[in-house]
Amino acid sequence: MSRGRANAAGGGHPVLDPALAPPFPVAALPVLRNSQLRKNVAHATDVIQAKRARVVAEKDDWQALRNAGAAIRDHVLENLGAYLEQFEERCTAAGGTVHWAADAAGARSIILEILRQEKAAEVIKIKTMTSAEIQLNPFLEAAGVKVFETDLAEIILQLGEEEPSHIVAPALHVNRSQVREIFARRMGLKDLSDDPQALTAAARNYLRRKFLDIPTAISGANFLIAETGSVAVVESEGNGRMCLTLPRALITLAGIEKVVPRFQDLEVMLQVLARSATGERMNPYTSLWTGVTPGDGPQRFHVVLLDNGRSGILARKTERQTLRCIRCAACMNACPVYRQTGGHAYGSVYPGPIGAILTPQLMQMHHAQSLPFASSLCGACYEVCPVKINIPEVLLELRSQVVNQERRQALRFFDPMYVGLRVANLLFSRAWLFHAAQRLGRIGLGFFTRGDGWIHSLPSVGAKWTQTRDLRGLPSQPFHAWWAERGRKPMKEAK
Amino acid sequence: MRASLFITCYNDTLYPETGRAVVRLLERLGVELEFHPRQTCCGQMHANTGFRSEAFSQATRFVSLYQNAETVVIPSSSCVAMIRDQYPGLFEELGNDELRRQLADLLPRVFELSEFLIDRLGVDDVGAYFPHRVTYHASCHGLRGLHLGDRPNRLLAKVRGLDLAPLPNLDRCCGFGGTFSVKNGDVSSAMLAVKLQDVVSTRAEFCTALDNSCLMHLGGAMHRQFAGMKTIHMAEILASTESDPAEGLA
Amino acid sequence: MSAAANSRRQVLERIRAATPNSAGTAEQGASAWNALPRGYTRVGAMTADARIQRMMERLREYDAEVTECAPDELPAAISAQLAASGRLKFVAPPGTPPAWMVTAAWQIAGLEWNIDQCDAGHGLTTEEIEQAEGVVTAAFCGVADSGTIVLHHSATEGRRVLTLLPDWHLCILHSSQVVETLPEYFARCQQPPALVTWISGPSATADIEMTRIKGVHGPRFLNVILVRDLGDNKIQQ
Repeated sequence: MSRGRANAAGGGHPVLDPALAPPFPVAALPVLRNSQLRKNVAHATDVIQAKRARVVAEKDDWQALRNAGAAIRDHVLENLGAYLEQFEERCTAAGGTVHWAADAAGARSIILEILRQEKAAEVIKIKTMTSAEIQLNPFLEAAGVKVFETDLAEIILQLGEEEPSHIVAPALHVNRSQVREIFARRMGLKDLSDDPQALTAAARNYLRRKFLDIPTAISGANFLIAETGSVAVVESEGNGRMCLTLPRALITLAGIEKVVPRFQDLEVMLQVLARSATGERMNPYTSLWTGVTPGDGPQRFHVVLLDNGRSGILARKTERQTLRCIRCAACMNACPVYRQTGGHAYGSVYPGPIGAILTPQLMQMHHAQSLPFASSLCGACYEVCPVKINIPEVLLELRSQVVNQERRQALRFFDPMYVGLRVANLLFSRAWLFHAAQRLGRIGLGFFTRGDGWIHSLPSVGAKWTQTRDLRGLPSQPFHAWWAERGRKPMKEAK
Repeated sequence: MRASLFITCYNDTLYPETGRAVVRLLERLGVELEFHPRQTCCGQMHANTGFRSEAFSQATRFVSLYQNAETVVIPSSSCVAMIRDQYPGLFEELGNDELRRQLADLLPRVFELSEFLIDRLGVDDVGAYFPHRVTYHASCHGLRGLHLGDRPNRLLAKVRGLDLAPLPNLDRCCGFGGTFSVKNGDVSSAMLAVKLQDVVSTRAEFCTALDNSCLMHLGGAMHRQFAGMKTIHMAEILASTESDPAEGLA
Repeated sequence: MSAAANSRRQVLERIRAATPNSAGTAEQGASAWNALPRGYTRVGAMTADARIQRMMERLREYDAEVTECAPDELPAAISAQLAASGRLKFVAPPGTPPAWMVTAAWQIAGLEWNIDQCDAGHGLTTEEIEQAEGVVTAAFCGVADSGTIVLHHSATEGRRVLTLLPDWHLCILHSSQVVETLPEYFARCQQPPALVTWISGPSATADIEMTRIKGVHGPRFLNVILVRDLGDNKIQQ
């Protein structure tokens, strides 16, 4: 399912662009009709959830870890400038070069400039959602730099011309026979089976020479350590280690919120990240490096710190907690909405519950306004978040911002939802108005009530209800009237 | 023991039988019930749809109506969650210290129905009789908002004649979500379809819950599909006795 | 002001504006950092024996092969592992104790050791390491809770590339190096190391339908020799 839209950077590659994506209810509908995709997503999220539950249950101190994780992240965010400056100082002293990018365009051009200095015509990449956020790959391709993704999921997406649908397992929506088809076609392996072992071996062979021969790499960062100027990358396959150690030059792109104060703080973050992300006690490989180490690894190292709207989120009281996120994706694995729609419906490289709050905020609330409503507020995400982001609380805050934006627009004046809610508020302000409305409602809805006492079809907003549900007709006597009839003494008024 | 019944706007309008059951049940347990005639709505629908200023006025009204109530009992976990979880933030934003004080004073006196029975009255056996196979749906507000825990199960376990069929994937949202059910009607229906598979698999006669909102959604679909199962609020099960069975079953 | 300096100033200004209560420097934030709640387990409660058992169990869960030996049996144990591997070309870090390599060289015909003399200016090339079939290293620490081996890439552990390219990694871990919990590993670091690799099993991916498949890019085979250098009766904390 590739989309050939032109992107902001001018290439023809498919991108997930919140500025162009259709509203969530519209984007979700075709996905809901794709039973293969729903099955893939349900299977994958069920598996990770079960694994997560097992390894979390083993930890008596899980809640204490969450508390510490949230506190460490809040402390960093509260003092972000100080810690970023410390990181810059220490990383530079260790031989790295730190760059600051105010926005996506700035980051892209810094990275391209470094690649030009390196005379790099090709680059190997470790999966980083931050690079997808700034639409880096199409930009580099358009500038004549060939980009080779090295994560298995990213290869699947790159070769299949697909878009990521999950932060940790971006190809979660693709099953093995679809992978087989992509690899067979793009790697020229006609007799490839769909056994995951064979598919993985195909990826290994495809990439081996690239790791050994391409001298420039781009990575993201899971954590930046302010105290030491170090960077930590968490992975499973080993492609990260390849990209971080074999090339001559390494560029690490990281959102400004990725910093933690001290090396020791990893004792919390590493314990909660793998358990939350993949349901393992620890992922296979975590790498930490500091600037440049003579004789070991890249001798030229750059960090590009990215703002791109994060400082705006930082400024807001309720929303700041969004930046605690350590990109574990536990929230989307737990989300009953994501389970039915997968990630593409969110129109962003950050989907699911975290995406519903992060994406519109990164867009300064100019786009993706449907995302805060793409939730039934069930709270499963908050329950599993390792850094205790109260996603429902942020969703509600963003909903009110969207409504405040929209209600000023002339066309909303006649929007049935807006009209209905304004009227309802008036009716709730006085009991007699409310009761009068109930009587009117009984009469009005009486027209739609069939002989069995149920309503099977309603117009306007109500049609979305009666699409799949009946509604029992309004009873002839509301509760308050029944109570009044019993002739009880009215209670003392509180005034 | 006196308690003031906040029936909730949608129960008043759509499910008065739940209110009648609460009255029957609590009076049987010796509670003297009051009903404030000026009550309307707690403001949840507006707050959850982003209409904060409207929610402010409804919340303010609620607090002033119930300031002097000994206890307030509410047969709807989502409304209690609204009052407990969102009112403090709303009043903080409003910056009205008097209201915040009144709310802080009122909150410990507000109870969801199962909380009122178990925590306030200290009973789990309410003398109920309901000889049917029943499955219990844990609404998200009750489960994660109020942390009702095993209260509902303790109450159902003591209902004579009741055959309780556990619901698979109990903690999965049914897809109602208030205005989500229409603003994202397609996704809501997809979540509903998945939930119904679990509900119907219990082969129960009734699906019960502490929230008529979820039941309206589940029951509406089951009625559309001739699924052969009905919904019933737990208050009506608990109110049901041999001599005085639940309405509609007599 | 250059564009780069401009960007930096712009970002930092936005951050400062958003965080009016921020400490001026990281040092000034230290007391708040010290006051952060850390109610999680900082020290394990297992006996030394129990945590060694746990370490081995967790390693085996990752399909790592684990054997034990007493300290004086180590060279023979290494030799046995190398022989069983069916491989002949091995690389080793510059600080590898010669005793580790002597027995094997003597017992296995055709065995080849290539030492990465990177500190003496005779480091192996990437191609030479790519041609190797296996690598033998020490480790800094083992964390039993997650079956994690921690490398600080010292002279006995080797440059990072050494444990990355060869398909077979034999890691020598002493029981005195094993801690129960991750915080205890951090407590052992007198200062933060510049390079760390935490290894928890051979490389794996779960990107195809969530089935964990071993052996993508790192060594597909991880063997561990657990050297019992703690007396059985000693309960070490």
